[in-house]
Amino acid sequence: MIFQLLVGNLTHGLLLGGVYGVATMGLSLIFGVINVVNVGHGQFIMVGAFVALTMFTALGLSPVIAIPVALVLGMALGFFFFYTVMRRLIKAPELTSLLATFAMGILLEEIAKLIFGADFRGYNWAVGKITLPITTIPMSKVYAFVGSIVIALFLYFWFSKTRLGTAMRAVIEDNEGARVCGVNVGWIYALSFAIGIGLTVMSGVLLTMFIPVGINPYMGGRYTLKAFVIAVLGGLTSPYGAFFAGLIFGLIENGAYTLFAQIPGVAPFPLTVSLAFWMLFFLLLVKPTGLLGK
Amino acid sequence: MKKNYLRVLIFMTIFGLLFAANAFAAPPSKLVIGHPACLSGKYAKAGEQAIGGVKACIDWVNNVYGGILVGGKRVPLEYKYYDCESKKEGVTSLIERLITVDKVNVVFSAYSSGLTLAGAPVAERYSMLYMDHGGASDRIFQQGFQYIVQTIGPGSKYHVGTLSMIDHFDPEAKKVALAYEDSEFARMTMGGAEKHAKKLGKKIVFKRTYPKGVTDLTPLLSDMKARKPDIVVGGGHYEDGQLFARQMSDLDINVKALSLVASATLPAYYKALGGGIAEGVMGPSHWEYGVTFSPDGAMKVGLDWIGPGQDEFVSLFKKALGKDMIPDYHAAEAGAQVLAYVKAVENIGSVDQFKVRAALGKLKFMSFYGGWDVDDTGMQIGHSMVDMQWQNGKRVIVWPLEAATGNLIYPKPKF
Amino acid sequence: MKKTLPKYYPLIPVFAAYLIMFLVGFSIPGMWQMVALLAFYCALGQSWNIFMGMTGYVDFGYVTFIALGTYGMSLGITYLSQYEWLGIGIIVIGFILALFLASLSALLEAFIALRLRGAYFAIACIGINEGLRYLIEGAKFWGGSEGLIFFGALVQALGRETVNQLTTFWADFSVFIIAALAAFLNMHYMRSKIGYALTAVREDEDAAKVMGINANKYKTIAFLTSGWLGAAVGAMAWGLKLGYVYPGDVFVIHYTVECIVVVLLGGAGTLLGPVIGGLIYGLSKYWLAVIMPGFQLLIFAPIIIIIIVVAPEGVVGLLKSKLKGTKLEMFIE
Repeated sequence: MIFQLLVGNLTHGLLLGGVYGVATMGLSLIFGVINVVNVGHGQFIMVGAFVALTMFTALGLSPVIAIPVALVLGMALGFFFFYTVMRRLIKAPELTSLLATFAMGILLEEIAKLIFGADFRGYNWAVGKITLPITTIPMSKVYAFVGSIVIALFLYFWFSKTRLGTAMRAVIEDNEGARVCGVNVGWIYALSFAIGIGLTVMSGVLLTMFIPVGINPYMGGRYTLKAFVIAVLGGLTSPYGAFFAGLIFGLIENGAYTLFAQIPGVAPFPLTVSLAFWMLFFLLLVKPTGLLGK
Repeated sequence: MKKNYLRVLIFMTIFGLLFAANAFAAPPSKLVIGHPACLSGKYAKAGEQAIGGVKACIDWVNNVYGGILVGGKRVPLEYKYYDCESKKEGVTSLIERLITVDKVNVVFSAYSSGLTLAGAPVAERYSMLYMDHGGASDRIFQQGFQYIVQTIGPGSKYHVGTLSMIDHFDPEAKKVALAYEDSEFARMTMGGAEKHAKKLGKKIVFKRTYPKGVTDLTPLLSDMKARKPDIVVGGGHYEDGQLFARQMSDLDINVKALSLVASATLPAYYKALGGGIAEGVMGPSHWEYGVTFSPDGAMKVGLDWIGPGQDEFVSLFKKALGKDMIPDYHAAEAGAQVLAYVKAVENIGSVDQFKVRAALGKLKFMSFYGGWDVDDTGMQIGHSMVDMQWQNGKRVIVWPLEAATGNLIYPKPKF
Repeated sequence: MKKTLPKYYPLIPVFAAYLIMFLVGFSIPGMWQMVALLAFYCALGQSWNIFMGMTGYVDFGYVTFIALGTYGMSLGITYLSQYEWLGIGIIVIGFILALFLASLSALLEAFIALRLRGAYFAIACIGINEGLRYLIEGAKFWGGSEGLIFFGALVQALGRETVNQLTTFWADFSVFIIAALAAFLNMHYMRSKIGYALTAVREDEDAAKVMGINANKYKTIAFLTSGWLGAAVGAMAWGLKLGYVYPGDVFVIHYTVECIVVVLLGGAGTLLGPVIGGLIYGLSKYWLAVIMPGFQLLIFAPIIIIIIVVAPEGVVGLLKSKLKGTKLEMFIE
């Protein structure tokens, strides 16, 4: 029975992992290119969740349509914050950029509260379920997973086949070298920040396809910390690394719960979370390039 | 050092005397309720409701009731509130400000057991009456605080009625699953539910907690599904209550009865789940829109009645917040607390902190919120709960039978 | 490094500020808790600053120290209040326990600092903080998620009057002492060998090593000092003062951010900075909560962003450049 439970939970974990992956790629991209840890990361996920909610409840549009809308809105937000704030902080000590992104997060939360109120909301995109012998999976979760794979593949091709994408990769690997080779580094900074934010906002939509309830202005914070763990697993500067780390993290999260639940007298949920953070801690010490790094 | 300490003592004594003098002075021209409210931060939702409830009842006291009768004349109530950001540091300094600068006559606690505890030492220090409408932990009342009084009922009672109800309709449903949030309040509910279930001869097939702010309950619920429960009771707050029902539906866990605390009862719950999923979900509540407590009912059980009727309260609440929002139990308990204070002050005709606290201890009355009675430590024991169920998008009170507005749908429709 | 003699002039404005705060709180009714809140922010800023200012590490998990301090005090009181003969000694033991727990955590962080820098270090410290919080909740020790509530135990052990005094006066008063001590230590370190050594390390670690400076030793001292001060603040302002502790209420990264805001507003790495930052931050937060309840964060967030962009050296940085060459210069550090 435990085996069946484990397999069932791992299936859900894999699906969730895809969403986690996309939700972390933006963080890694921004850190890789402009060397800023976006402490307000989760709040951008929250923006995406509200995009999906509003489009579904007010306009009756499916979350699939909300995905590109969120990308465009996210990129617009990214450009706005880059040119008003981040541009001046690239050379500054990390202290200031950490604080600036944190303040951005608070600003987004409070604006969202002003517009939508502090209520927890949700929507129900009923597109059926698949019943497997081990577990039941709602189709919306499957679509979210497929969506995240498509986004990851798209990004992969963009990075390896397009001129802008390769330029961006060059900046991640060797900032000065890229500058010497005639890459317009300033523009790459702006674009990467915008794409990073766009991806993050988009992942908020995917997340609501997975968990369509509990949407509220303060929902983002808990995803920030999760994204940190995943980003470190993936090596911090690598967006693909982040995607695969997301998949792994989803599996670990659900698998570890199932195993911890077998120990009597403990609370498995917090132990799972604790495990994730200790893992992050040891990995940073032993292999800061991430699980998949060189 | 020694000398310094003495000076502090002298200073404090003078200070205290000044206060005492203040309290014994001629009848005041107004009475002020102070409140370090949670307008932002993690309890912003409950905080807004509480403010609305307090404002609505103050409005009623001043404009309908005509003010509080104290020292032979009727004086109005005032309300002074600040935002503590749902944080413990905010609570202490704001309470002191309310007591010393704003000279309030009573302090209402901030929402949650933690914040209520954070403010209690300051209230004690100034011998200030401290009324708790949002801290459900029994442990608050085991700390020896002298000026604290509770309006909200203790958490351990929440699911007792629910289990009795199911036992009444279907004694054969034996397998009970408990899955609660790991918070002060929900843990107490779980303890109470477990005890009562055993008393009724039920079998606990599953018992787990999950942390605050959980984002995915799938592994816990899969485990629960494998135990094939008949009855599921659990929850803790609004958001995890949404997640709970939603993911039970995702996993197709169909049970005979599902009752969630502090979430299913809120008016927006049905809409937040997008309809169908909430159908048949139940929740216990201190108070619900539709509960029929009335002056006649109060007379039958021999209790005094004070305050607005239910519809009047709802319209005052909407006016107070300027929003078309239905009040939930957070609003009702904060509002009832205003009425309790009014009643206690009138009973003794004084605003002296200690006397009012004593009067509250003896007070028994009924309002739109239901009965009110506290024990020696200040813990609420007079308030009883109701159980409601979502039926066709409407909230129907199904238990206790004498308060019911409809019949229980049992077993719960499939997701 | 400047050729200033080991004089402590810059401490004068800092101590003057604390004295004024104390007097205001002490003599004007209703100001005490507010002033205590300011002292809390100043003390935290000052303690965090020792760490950051001297080693250049941004410790995002600093709240771990405060939380462990709270737990040290809470554990001491909860488990020792049954021994009546200990009397007020339970608070002393609780305080020592707080420092002990903080030492362990400080040594762990010092160990990480040997390997990691910048954002990696910051994230690792967050990892410790969250890992510890959920370990307490998951493995259910130290009261687990049910926390420790010990106000009643305290009343039973020491009597109601004493406890009233302790929680609403002496706990806050000791925060003042800790703040002043933090300022003194900061100044002392700046003016002694450890300060010069760490400056050398910060500027060029390899060169410093060649010169025979034991960087690790001095870093560890700075970590320990900063951790102890944080734990002391936690033990007093959260433990003794509030009489309860829940893991979810103390291991909160948000408080580290508050430390950073305080330090950055005033001026990072300066002595007077955290005091000015703490005053600005605490006062504006308090008054916004009073005047415009519910909107303070909406107003605060853009202000922080503007300050970072416009004046990244903080108020003291501006002040320093204004006063350069005047006689007042020696009072500002």
